[in-house]
Amino acid sequence: MTLIYQGITLIVVLLIGWHILRERRLTDQMEAALVLLPLILRLLMIK
Amino acid sequence: MSSDRTNEKTRSYGNRWTALGLFGAVAVTVFLVALDFRAMWLDPPIYPGPGVTGQARLSDYFSGIDGTAADTDVYFLEGEEAGGTALVLGGTHPNEPASSLSAITLIESAVVARGRLIVIPRAVHSGFTATDPQEGYPQVYHIETPTGVREFRYGGRGTNPIHQWPDPVIYVNGSGQQLAGPEVRNLNRSYPGDPNGYLTERLAFAIVEMIRQEGIDLSIDLHEASPEYPVINAMVAHENAVDLAVEAALLLELEGIQIGVEPSPANLRGLSHREWGDATGTKAILIESANPAQGRLRGPTTEALIVEGVDRYYIRAAELGLLYVPFGKEGSPLDERVGRHLQTVSMLLEVFSSADPDRTIAVEHLPTLGEIRQNGLGAFLAPPEK
Repeated sequence: MTLIYQGITLIVVLLIGWHILRERRLTDQMEAALVLLPLILRLLMIK
Repeated sequence: MSSDRTNEKTRSYGNRWTALGLFGAVAVTVFLVALDFRAMWLDPPIYPGPGVTGQARLSDYFSGIDGTAADTDVYFLEGEEAGGTALVLGGTHPNEPASSLSAITLIESAVVARGRLIVIPRAVHSGFTATDPQEGYPQVYHIETPTGVREFRYGGRGTNPIHQWPDPVIYVNGSGQQLAGPEVRNLNRSYPGDPNGYLTERLAFAIVEMIRQEGIDLSIDLHEASPEYPVINAMVAHENAVDLAVEAALLLELEGIQIGVEPSPANLRGLSHREWGDATGTKAILIESANPAQGRLRGPTTEALIVEGVDRYYIRAAELGLLYVPFGKEGSPLDERVGRHLQTVSMLLEVFSSADPDRTIAVEHLPTLGEIRQNGLGAFLAPPEK
């Protein structure tokens, strides 16, 4: 079950990363980068 | 019009280069906070005192937790004369510091003359590696000893989610009780445990196995609760230990320590005072003291609140009669809470031994509440980096 949730988190991280690359509004890019932080920490099982 | 222009300008600032810059900033931030979070994975040292005669791992009793973050140290204090066996469990909820600190004080200062004492200071070892979200807890607190300052970890209420994830929406424990999802990581809702269940259920199973395999007569689970919680400064006893708890409470009252006794509710399942007694026949008792750092009425959640236990909102709440414990300007200091726990443990052992002299458990050098008030708790802990 944990692996499935890690997989879901990885997909969300990749989608947000893709969104940051395509987005042209700096504020939206920054918001998305903030959202990435807890997701990456959980993906790496640090927090 | 002006707002549209601003939006246009902001729009034009973002491009692939800003995206790459933000990826770099995210990477640096993750690296830095990872260092901080990973530092919590290290256990502050415990220095076994002269009374410790052996040490084991909980996984020695159930291999299902071997190599996991749930595995934890077990300390044995054995007297030269044979007698009974008692368990003192600290750190079931790592955000209740008097619990683990009382167990650590036992390990570092107590000597058993007769019988055996088994002590687990960090029952939910995993819980000491993270604090609870949105609580603002400090990661550590400090206690002054005569020769330096000791650091201890303040943790979360249950197993760290990185060690047991995800939580179910509803947790149905082994006894069929329905609980909120996060309670699946709460050791004191998971008894008697399940050898094939969640990590916390396997931990609960290991503790019950240890009680069974060691033939433990008396099992004491140390806790804390917020001052507005009704069951506070109290013992909760399984029906097989109510007489013992009542007699201990009366004797403690004569020594100036007010402590209540609550019978363990038969239909409240998954808790130590219920399931330990039902599953193994051990006399099971849970003890609570008042920790303002856990409460909903508290002000800033600082290290001073944990250690000194003074909070003006709790003082006001006490004036309004909203609390279940006295709470004056002196607050509810950690020293006092540990002293209460230790004197209650001492009294329970004494009453147990007088009721069954063949199973006597005689413990020496256990500080009383008065001694801790006079000298400070640090006087009974080992110096740092011994």
